[in-house]
Amino acid sequence: MIPSLAGIVTICLCVLPLLLSGPYYVHVFILTMVNIVLASSLRLINLSGQMSLAHGGMMTIGAYTSALLVMKAGLSFWVAMPISGLCTALIAYVVGYPFVRLKGIYFSIVTIFFSEVVVLTAQQWQSLTGGAAGIFGIPRPNPVSLFGILHVDFSSKVEFYYLALALMLISLIILYAVEKSRIGMVLRGVQQADSLAESVGIDTTGFKVLAFTVGSFFPGVLGAFYSHYISAVNPDAFSFLFTIYILIYMTVGGEKGFFGPVLGAAVLTILPEVSRPLKAFEPFVFAAVLIAVIFFVPEGMAGIPQMVRRVKTAHEKGAADA
Amino acid sequence: MLEIEGLSKYFGGLEAVSSVDVSVRAGEKLGLIGPNGAGKTTFFNLVSGTLKPTRGKVTFEGRDITGKSPHYIAGKGIVRTFQGINIFPDFTVLENVVLSCHLKPGVGLLETVLKTSGSRRKEKAILERSRQILELAALDRLANVAAKNLAHGHKRILGIAIALAAEPKLLLLDEPLGGMNAVEVSETMALIDRLWRNGITILLIEHNMRATMNLCQRIVVLNFGRKIAEGTPDEIKANPDVIRAYLGAGGHAA
Repeated sequence: MIPSLAGIVTICLCVLPLLLSGPYYVHVFILTMVNIVLASSLRLINLSGQMSLAHGGMMTIGAYTSALLVMKAGLSFWVAMPISGLCTALIAYVVGYPFVRLKGIYFSIVTIFFSEVVVLTAQQWQSLTGGAAGIFGIPRPNPVSLFGILHVDFSSKVEFYYLALALMLISLIILYAVEKSRIGMVLRGVQQADSLAESVGIDTTGFKVLAFTVGSFFPGVLGAFYSHYISAVNPDAFSFLFTIYILIYMTVGGEKGFFGPVLGAAVLTILPEVSRPLKAFEPFVFAAVLIAVIFFVPEGMAGIPQMVRRVKTAHEKGAADA
Repeated sequence: MLEIEGLSKYFGGLEAVSSVDVSVRAGEKLGLIGPNGAGKTTFFNLVSGTLKPTRGKVTFEGRDITGKSPHYIAGKGIVRTFQGINIFPDFTVLENVVLSCHLKPGVGLLETVLKTSGSRRKEKAILERSRQILELAALDRLANVAAKNLAHGHKRILGIAIALAAEPKLLLLDEPLGGMNAVEVSETMALIDRLWRNGITILLIEHNMRATMNLCQRIVVLNFGRKIAEGTPDEIKANPDVIRAYLGAGGHAA
């Protein structure tokens, strides 16, 4: 069922730009797809039982790396984007070893500080990063020619839309494959009982670092995409609030299943855009939604069908008993 | 097989384990007993790598493993069970064992992501082996039950099955009979005996004195972190130091 459903949604997303009235809505869908990848990759780190709050920092690293590689080193965007992802993953790998020695909330706190360090570095290293103002005029991705007929020069949002769609599909396929592999199972085991996992020969530190590294690769790539899309980046672009939003997408959607964060990011990105009055109060609305979800549907929106089924069976059983 | 020399662990000024020498011979069942707080579990933690010793040396099959990480020591063949959390609660019984079979037959991680035909064959072999382990532990009927829903006795036995899946040469059992009823105790003792017959060396911590005396060929007694006696069950029963440790100084009057 999941493959066919995913196929239908993909086809719908492919034809969607033809139906959207204007660049604004295309922009909303690009944001949605970026947020879906961010929330899903955050969940991969979460699988190992570690709650990272460094996603905004990782995205900043990816954005600056790609902008500098293209503008100062003269690389093509198509080379710079994957390199930005790998650089971000490498940094996550290096800081990961000391970080994962801290457990629970202490790990989360140190990842917040890490993000702040990234922001401060971007602000202070003026000669390289342009300081607080950031970098402007980041060029569009180099034109590509698809199959020799279709010429894509990224002059309109629709072309970025298809790039974002491709990035999202590839990212989700990779994340899904990782989760369904032995790595995913080991990570869940580490989450449930890390000392037991360690006792049967699993290098729990190594696996936590692996999750943090792979999970940070995606914000790196998406940061690169995003900086070229809006053609600018500054130190505050992906603030602490931005990271918290990703966390909310994941929690509201439901972190138990793979598609929870996808659902959460889609609903919470599109909803405030459809209803502009909501947008002004976004942090309040998100907080209220988060609290409501934690109280009434702790498994998130993705868990609602199952919950309804459970209530229904209990109800029928009650009726049968009476 | 396992040589422990002068093993010590101090927590600040407290000597939890103090210059203990123990030698475990391949193929034996060795019991480790002692009153509460004698340092038995600390001793296990030192051997299995959960804690780093303050002093002393641990050698396993001629290799120095002092202060190595737990997963390294487990990989070399010393696997321990826990008194407390000893299962992965959200997994089924079968998944618990499958997870612990992990990495052993050399399945590359990337292989399992790409689902190559080689990795599928190996995954099948792991599943096969896990089912055999469940059969050995008499848990095969519960294979698809979530581990958190098991009865207490079954949880403890599953803890042993998880350890087995890691292919131990030496199995360290930390109070495997704790909180069990009489039937479960005899079943677990029979299981431990079966494992021993399959060639696994057993080092057992247990408060159930009768079970330990029946099961083990040799017993080491700890008290206040020091080894006070070592010998056959009959020698231990007759040892005045052991009787004093358990019953107090006036014990001879009783």
